[in-house]
Amino acid sequence: MVGKYDIEIYNNKVHYFLTIKRNITILKGNSATGKTELIRLISEYEANGNSSGISLKCDKKCSVLTNIAWELRLASMSQTIIFIDETADFIKTKRFAELVKGSDNYFVIVTRDDLSQLPYSIDEIYGLTNVSSTSKYKAYKKVYNEMYKLYNLNPIQRVNPELVITEDSNSGYQCFSHIFANCVSANGKSNIYANIRTQSDKRILVIVDGAAFGPEVGKIMSYLAVNDNSCVLYAPESFEYILLSSELLDVPKDILHETYNYADSKAFVSWEEYYTRYLIDASGQTIYKYSKTQLNKNYLGNKALEKIKQVLPEQIQ
Amino acid sequence: MLKIYFGELEADNYIFNPDVYFNNTYEDEWIVDKLSVDMIKDVDGSDVIGPRLIDSPYLGSIPVERLSGGVKTLILMNNDDSHVFNASACGDNCAKWILKIAENKDIMIRLGYLMDFGDTSFEVEIVNTGKMVHSNKELVLEVLDNKLI
Repeated sequence: MVGKYDIEIYNNKVHYFLTIKRNITILKGNSATGKTELIRLISEYEANGNSSGISLKCDKKCSVLTNIAWELRLASMSQTIIFIDETADFIKTKRFAELVKGSDNYFVIVTRDDLSQLPYSIDEIYGLTNVSSTSKYKAYKKVYNEMYKLYNLNPIQRVNPELVITEDSNSGYQCFSHIFANCVSANGKSNIYANIRTQSDKRILVIVDGAAFGPEVGKIMSYLAVNDNSCVLYAPESFEYILLSSELLDVPKDILHETYNYADSKAFVSWEEYYTRYLIDASGQTIYKYSKTQLNKNYLGNKALEKIKQVLPEQIQ
Repeated sequence: MLKIYFGELEADNYIFNPDVYFNNTYEDEWIVDKLSVDMIKDVDGSDVIGPRLIDSPYLGSIPVERLSGGVKTLILMNNDDSHVFNASACGDNCAKWILKIAENKDIMIRLGYLMDFGDTSFEVEIVNTGKMVHSNKELVLEVLDNKLI
């Protein structure tokens, strides 16, 4: 499934607005913000249609998946936005992760626990908020501040890191180690915390692939909230996204700005995978032929590095 | 005192889905208990009209079964001593009430995320490691250093 979908659902008491644009969206936040009520409305509309007294506006079918025969029901769904409440105990299973991968459905999952088996984006973690304290209207708001995709950063502050930690151990690390003086690889997103923890006396810049860092971001932000670390998280979609944005290759703007229209969930479980595939294909016949395991030396020339640096936020250039 | 087990808990008395469990086990007197009334007001913003009726600012008159999953779990923690409840059904706005319930009795809960217990000092045992922690900072470090979630 591709595309970006507005969902409006309401009865005479509550009114919800959501926009869904990736295969996995996570809803979390305080109790009593209406998450379960949202699922209940969708479920009752699904069962009773217009005679439910509920109005649902969406270009795609919306459905609720519960514990009951979930695997069988999921197998029968196609081109559907599937809502799953936190009471479903299968969302952490390996089998569910396998079925999300390759599915042509979008999933909206209510859970406060991290789903480490699913590569969801830090930009698709939302909390429900009232538009006003007295209003029945509810909208979803991003949990993590998206400003410049830099987290834990004062926007006017310039970062001069003593240490740069990259999630990537291959091409991304090879590139960033040419841009930043003291750069190490964490060898994967699950090792980021340990790397920050052992270097807590330094000013640190952490570079991660935002498109799949969702399961880890809560832990890192919780740690940074209780510690006085001078640590900034930079979370672009992925290293490949930076290269595609650098104008070293001729990439249509829509690919980067409206990725939801191109990254088919059936072929790509995350946008990170899509950008990698696109970069490999687009660069194949050029001097910038890309490989994820070994960075082409042409990306490390002065002019190319300057173009790549221009994509980075001003505060860390 | 509060004991917290982090991660996936397998125990016969563990209730993964406290929302449904509450609907099928709650007693009328639990609802009109002073602490329940206060928790329902604070977390859900709702008033208890009687043991079978709640006045919600958004939903109007609702039965007890439509209280939030978070406040249902809190009420269970306070009234059912024989089970361990999944506190991931509770948001951060339930944290102070969990600590309050644990002031008067020993309770054990399960968490799958780093609930924010705020700036107050407290005494919590992390069951997985047996360590006592006294602040949110100590709790976060104990959980993350030991990869409990």
